[in-house]
Amino acid sequence: MADAVPILRMVNLTKQFGRLVAVNDVTLDITEGEFFTIVGPSGSGKTTLLRMLGGLEKPTAGDIYLRDERVNGVPANRRPTCMVFQSLALFNHKTVGQNIEFSLKMRGESRRARRERGLSLMKLVQLPEDYYDRSVTKCSGGERQRVALARALASDPDILFFDEPLSAIDYRLRKLLEVELKDLHRTTGKTFVYITHSLEEAMVMSDRIGIMQEGRLIQIGSPNEIYLQPRNKFVSEFMGEVNTLAVQAGANGGIDCPDFDRSFTSPARPEGFAAGYLVIRPESMRFLSDPSEAENHIAGSLFNEYALGSRVQYHVSAGDMMFVVEKLREQAYQGALNDDVLIGWDAKDSVLVTD
Amino acid sequence: MENKRWVISLIAVWTGVIVLFLYIPIFSGILSSFAKSRYFRFPVKAWSDKWYDETLGANLTSDLHLTSFYVAGCVALIAVVLGFFGALAFARYDWRGRRFYQRLIMLPIFFPQAVLGLALLLWFTYVGVLPSWEAAAFAHLVWIVPIVTLVISIQVYGFDAAQEEAAYDLGANRWQAFREVTLPALAPGLFSGALFAFLLSWGNFPLSTYTTGADSTVTEWLYTKMTAGYTPMIPTMGALSVFGAIVILFGGYMFLIVRRRRRLERGE
Repeated sequence: MADAVPILRMVNLTKQFGRLVAVNDVTLDITEGEFFTIVGPSGSGKTTLLRMLGGLEKPTAGDIYLRDERVNGVPANRRPTCMVFQSLALFNHKTVGQNIEFSLKMRGESRRARRERGLSLMKLVQLPEDYYDRSVTKCSGGERQRVALARALASDPDILFFDEPLSAIDYRLRKLLEVELKDLHRTTGKTFVYITHSLEEAMVMSDRIGIMQEGRLIQIGSPNEIYLQPRNKFVSEFMGEVNTLAVQAGANGGIDCPDFDRSFTSPARPEGFAAGYLVIRPESMRFLSDPSEAENHIAGSLFNEYALGSRVQYHVSAGDMMFVVEKLREQAYQGALNDDVLIGWDAKDSVLVTD
Repeated sequence: MENKRWVISLIAVWTGVIVLFLYIPIFSGILSSFAKSRYFRFPVKAWSDKWYDETLGANLTSDLHLTSFYVAGCVALIAVVLGFFGALAFARYDWRGRRFYQRLIMLPIFFPQAVLGLALLLWFTYVGVLPSWEAAAFAHLVWIVPIVTLVISIQVYGFDAAQEEAAYDLGANRWQAFREVTLPALAPGLFSGALFAFLLSWGNFPLSTYTTGADSTVTEWLYTKMTAGYTPMIPTMGALSVFGAIVILFGGYMFLIVRRRRRLERGE
């Protein structure tokens, strides 16, 4: 993405349903060839945003530009974009081949040309050739995903939209399909706009991620930026389990934590920071044998431990809080439950966020 | 294992008894149509097919069936069209007043048919429509359209509306989306709706009796003959209906098998 040409631009895009503001003043550029994921909890407006981009919903205010052409009122069937629906919306009365070739049939392409294209798409998404005449109702969950994908790709759209297509798939298959989707993005070179409620899924696949909360896009960045520099408490907690301490700006560049009646060393402060939260990731927390081993420490007792395969997670109770500590299995804590333990972290491994 | 076999045989016996219970009246009807005597007696002493000769030979028979067929055919056709759009409003789209509509449309079903028939006759007279088979078809529609609407609604409820959106998204216009996606997806519902409409109309007596006027349907004739002037043509006529139904069902089944085989051969 050296010369970033925006293929899709949203300017102050807003959608209201009666009094409910589903999408609120979203401005965003999506670059040609990018894998952009919009992440948010259910009800955050991400599906509505995607439906506007796909032409299935008209914006209340603001504009959508596709390659510098305003497309607000252009209906879905005349946009060079295609959507993979959450339910997949496969045509159950049609075969795999007929599903995939639907857009070509609508264009009036010959049966032979359609078949040729259909079979090559099936190869691309790794569907066996003899599935061509099979009813889609006889396909497994993963196969149906592939049919939906091939169907969306058939018309050679400029942009592919994905509305949480993997949400109903079991964990192992989902992991496999995530990787395949990312590989498909590479081989086709198309622009993918994906929405999901799982930041983990977004992290694996995306070039950039936009976090949505209550209709607004509150942070846009690479997976790394969002992981390391969450803009607010919502984003940091959306990332998964984190330790969050309510803090205030203190004297000498430190930060005060009233809950523990202590001062901690501060990471880089956001401009004008007065009060907010100190966020420490579980993997940045360490067990200490002596307070001097880390810049900050807290004493607590080991409440429980959970094996997570390659890692072990510990819950440590201290004051009114439960801290989460994660270690690699080889570096597991040696001791028993209810042990008095000392946990600590360095300022560089923590982040300050506001509400 | 021992226990399971016992349970299975109990279920088998139970099922057999139920089926027998349902089929004995039909079977005894057919039996009496083959009896020689003028009045039905059991056990049957002498067999004959003379009532079939008489029934099939009578002009009356074909007239009655044609009238019933016209009425039921028109009712099935119109009811499916109205019921289809009614079902879309019932189950597919959300609109103000939908709940009220959903209840309103049920009302004619619960209305006693004999009263409904009389009411319609009075109404027809008032607006100057002469009782005839066309009027009867209209009367049937009042009662049957709501039922067909419900039958098709079940299919519509099971239809993922995203399929229509997917069709638009893939370049289809409204008509193409309707023809390629909505209609075929709802076809089983339309078929059962049409079947329901036809059979309910074919077997209907209370509405027909008030509204057919000079025309007469099979059910009306059966009723009249049963109340005054029984002849074994009655069970014969009933038996013929049963045979007809068997032929239609079997034929339909064969048609489906042949069509499926052809499709496979063409590789569709």
